Amino acid sequence: MFYRLSGVRHFSYTGDRSLYRIPFERNAALALLAAAILAPWIIGELTLTSLVQPWLIWTSAALGLNLVVGWAGQLHLGYAAVMGVGAYAGTHAARSGVPWEIAIVLAGFASMVIGSVFSIAALRVKGLYLALTTLAMQFVIDWSIVHLSVVSGGALASLRAPDMSLLGFEINGTAGLYYVALAWCVLVTIFMMNLRRSALGRALMAVREKDYAAEIIGVRSFVFKLVAFAASSFIAGVSGAVLIATYYHIVTPDQFSTQVSIQVLAMVIVGGLGSIIGTYLGTALILIMPGLVAALFHGATELFDLRIGVETLAHLPNAAYGALIMGCLLWEPLGLGRLYHNMRSYLIAWPFGYLKK
Amino acid sequence: MTTASAEPLLSLRNVEVVYDNVSLAVSGVSLDVPEGQLIALLGANGAGKSTTLRSISGLLQAARGKVTRGEIRYAGQLVNTLSPQDRVKLGIVQVLEGRHVFEQLTTNENLEAACPVEMSRAEMRSALDRAYTFFPRLAERRNATSGYLSGGEQQMLAIARALMTRPRMLMLDEPSLGLSPMLTTEIFSIIRRINREEGISVLLVEQNAFAALDLVSHGYLIESGRVVMHDTATAMKNNPDIQEFYLGGHGVNFRDIKHYRRRKRWLT
Amino acid sequence: MDWILFLELAANGAVTGLLYAMVAISIVLIFKSSAVPNLAQGALVMVGAYAVLAFSDWLGLPMWLAIPAAMVFMFGLGIGIERHALRRLAGQPIIMILMMTLGLDIFLRGITLAAFGGSARRMDLGISDDPLFVGQILMSRVHLTGAAVALMVFAALVLFFRTRRGIRLRAISNDYVASWSVGIGVEQGVALSWALAAVISTIAGVFWGAVQGVDQSLSLLLLKSLTVAVLGGLDSLPGAIVAGILLGVLESVVSGYLDPLVGGGSRELVVAVTLILTVLIRPHGLFGDRSVERI
Repeated sequence: MFYRLSGVRHFSYTGDRSLYRIPFERNAALALLAAAILAPWIIGELTLTSLVQPWLIWTSAALGLNLVVGWAGQLHLGYAAVMGVGAYAGTHAARSGVPWEIAIVLAGFASMVIGSVFSIAALRVKGLYLALTTLAMQFVIDWSIVHLSVVSGGALASLRAPDMSLLGFEINGTAGLYYVALAWCVLVTIFMMNLRRSALGRALMAVREKDYAAEIIGVRSFVFKLVAFAASSFIAGVSGAVLIATYYHIVTPDQFSTQVSIQVLAMVIVGGLGSIIGTYLGTALILIMPGLVAALFHGATELFDLRIGVETLAHLPNAAYGALIMGCLLWEPLGLGRLYHNMRSYLIAWPFGYLKK
Repeated sequence: MTTASAEPLLSLRNVEVVYDNVSLAVSGVSLDVPEGQLIALLGANGAGKSTTLRSISGLLQAARGKVTRGEIRYAGQLVNTLSPQDRVKLGIVQVLEGRHVFEQLTTNENLEAACPVEMSRAEMRSALDRAYTFFPRLAERRNATSGYLSGGEQQMLAIARALMTRPRMLMLDEPSLGLSPMLTTEIFSIIRRINREEGISVLLVEQNAFAALDLVSHGYLIESGRVVMHDTATAMKNNPDIQEFYLGGHGVNFRDIKHYRRRKRWLT
Repeated sequence: MDWILFLELAANGAVTGLLYAMVAISIVLIFKSSAVPNLAQGALVMVGAYAVLAFSDWLGLPMWLAIPAAMVFMFGLGIGIERHALRRLAGQPIIMILMMTLGLDIFLRGITLAAFGGSARRMDLGISDDPLFVGQILMSRVHLTGAAVALMVFAALVLFFRTRRGIRLRAISNDYVASWSVGIGVEQGVALSWALAAVISTIAGVFWGAVQGVDQSLSLLLLKSLTVAVLGGLDSLPGAIVAGILLGVLESVVSGYLDPLVGGGSRELVVAVTLILTVLIRPHGLFGDRSVERI
């Protein structure tokens, strides 16, 4: 209905490779972008800072993880540690007087260096074993951050990040911080969208499908695995630093624990591997859900005057969060992005039953 | 055709298969496999041969596919919704394309794994012996890890393993894939022996139409998810279209052919 | 160098390692039959321990009855988990399955803590706390009993995998589609392995509960038992036992000497580093099958 591929025929390779193959999708994306820019005037300040802004930052982080997991097919269970490296590097740089715009880039590079170490594991093993190694690396990095007082500022300490300023302008209002997050998210999204039609993206997908087969046709799988890890780590580092600078304002080790790694992975998988729109949807679901459940149970206890213990109330959202991950995987293992894709295929073929492939 | 009146062992009526809820792979395939016969299902890549086999053996669900329409009858019983396991119990067994052996198990363990649990020890031993008489080569490598067998041996193991389930109908998905012509001949002659000596009906899917039509009594030609031709093997071999599109030109001099692409006549 | 201290650290490490091995055996069991790396194993141990407590505290059963009752309950839970959570993911990429077990881990921990609260509870097995001196080495009776039980569980499983049912389980782990094609009940086989793993987790939960109390930290056994399983080769039961002893000794000795230097907490580091080194140097572990891959 909205998509109508029947009238669109590409007669040139350029047309066929265009970012949006159906005009409707391009217009929809532009409309969404416009809405995002106008958001500070449309939605309330509380929603903006507590929902939309973390959503955008986590989406950019999740997109970076999707690059390595969805595009290059390398499992990564230590992503939060890489983000943590960036967050600490950025905060330390900013605290020692480096301007934020440089500190953020430094954070990206610091993460890139540490994150590329992960790819050494990817050179040796894949699949499950890679997942386990990265998980162990997360533990090692966590341990180092906590135990090296130079980094964390002593055990159980938290570091305050200086106020954000970019290119000489102080950024302190809600809208300003929101725009920083939005800009970064848009940047990552554009990068990821173009990846699909670039040589790099195709090489990554070749490596994902069968790394030795890719090797045989001349795609050097190690190089591309390294590039994938480096690029995703850079995104992780910057996202980590942006998260601290615009949202948390304080950095502590437990902000980037194993649980957080699992959370970002859940965003990617619930959203759909290799799907950009899916990553947005998955992040939204994973972020909003626990708070929603907590509020729901809280409301229910007050409404029906149930005697649910404080501890029970505290742990139920966790159980619901686990159940949500399981439920999404059972319902559509390929993620929300796949649901969108199926709907799109259906609408393109409509009113005919099936898309003949 | 001699006994067309008896009810066939397996019959498909208008079977339609959809993958992933959106992609139509097979639309309206009907075919019959009479008891004790050798039947071939021919067609090009992506014509829907493997999908048809999977719809019969029930392995579609592993590939996110579904039979959305039509009937699959086996021995008079509707089997559309049965699990693969139940279908094997009824006697339908499929040898998968590309030699799926249990790579980390030995040859012997591969065969033992396929034994029904209710089979007694003595029965299992006689079934093993029977499998090894068809495939003497496997007997020699009884205790070898099957992942290290050669391609031909793995294909034999896959067929032998299917025999361990005591089938009435054996379905083979491209047994000649990646094998030398010599090995193909050997395997095809074993398939014929299995058919004659055990009375097992065989449904054979092949790309190698030439070898397949020598083996079978009847053939079906499937294209774009539809059956487009059904005839005896000899008639199919002599059909000019089949000759041109599937058997390859017999000494055709390409200079003499008129320079337009011949249309497949059944695609009107 | 103080040899008595060293021997004491090593002996206690080995016994603790056998307790890790018991959890690792559950991981191996599930992996062997379904190629699913169960990252919810720690949570299962925790649920098992709480189930025993539930039967003894809430229903007032004596311990010798509460443990079998909990094992029956966990057998059912294992089958339920397989049927409702993992069966539909059969044949999906490994990452989906990993994510499912991670989600399961979060879910099980959340629901257990919601039911029992977060404070630690005691698990009293009636085994005396009196120190036991073997020569000059001080050892714990609970640990020793647990280690003996771990060895018995191991022996029982080795025998099981020689039977035809056991071979079928191994076939299932090799190739799902091929197993379906020859009529092997893939679902039933995998469910059985989950059920057995859940039962073994209960036993492990009982002993770990007796050692360190029953609380959320039981689920942290995951990293250690996973390391043991990988070091042993993920699909090798003897590997799990040997690796368990090895890691136990290594962890106990290294942290015994290192902890005073870095101010504690080096056990986790030893485990994580062992895991990394194992995967990088010898991914198939000490006794695992090298994967057979034909191009």
